[in-house]
Amino acid sequence: MSAASPTELVEEQLTVAPLVPWELVVWDDPVNLMSYVARIFRTYFGYGPERANALMLAVHNDGHAVVATGPRETMEVHAQAMHDYGLWATVRKAPQ
Amino acid sequence: MTDGIIIQLAPLEAVHLRNLIDEFLALLTTDGEHDEAITRLTPNPYPDDAAAAREYRDGTRDDLLQRRGRDAARMNAALGSLSADVDPSSAAAVTAQPLRIPVADVDSWMRTLAAMRLVVANRLAIDSDDDHDPSDPRFHVYDWLGYRLDELIRLADEYDAMAS
Repeated sequence: MSAASPTELVEEQLTVAPLVPWELVVWDDPVNLMSYVARIFRTYFGYGPERANALMLAVHNDGHAVVATGPRETMEVHAQAMHDYGLWATVRKAPQ
Repeated sequence: MTDGIIIQLAPLEAVHLRNLIDEFLALLTTDGEHDEAITRLTPNPYPDDAAAAREYRDGTRDDLLQRRGRDAARMNAALGSLSADVDPSSAAAVTAQPLRIPVADVDSWMRTLAAMRLVVANRLAIDSDDDHDPSDPRFHVYDWLGYRLDELIRLADEYDAMAS
């Protein structure tokens, strides 16, 4: 038996997820009420009335708005909540 | 302060709402795979990525529809007390009565009203803000749901402002 050899340190190649943020985008539709969309932004995301209203107007006037940014999984959770409310939401990688 | 908000609703209106909710619940439980209204209620968050879209759909679609069903059933139950034994020809049927919606139920009501409105909009082929013909009686249901939802939002906003 040979003496114990120095433990070989295997360096694990941890793949670090790149910190690329994702975006939750809410799209305009002709059905949902403006008061409803503003309320959801306020109550679900906890945005103040002014920010919630500005985002709602951006959706209405520009056709869409980025309402949240963060990890992909979080944006998917938000998308599910928006879909629960009947809003049309998509998830995308933030433009670099 | 009362827990919840109080709306005024005539028993006949409660009956109509329950009928709509029953139809909505039936729609949710049918195989709505190719129904455009169901497609609208379960949006694709990855329109440019078929694989991600499929994965998301497989992981969330059934749960989403089940949550919709629970929301609608909750609203249906709350309307039960008002809509029982209504004689449509009686004056009482069209006389508004107060109905308290507990805070915990408000979102279920809003989601269900909004979702039923999306279904009606799909049947009416409403694709733009201008697609609205008030003389077409089919729009009455659409407008009525919108009126009820808007009122609920206003009352809920007022409640939040008072509670904070």
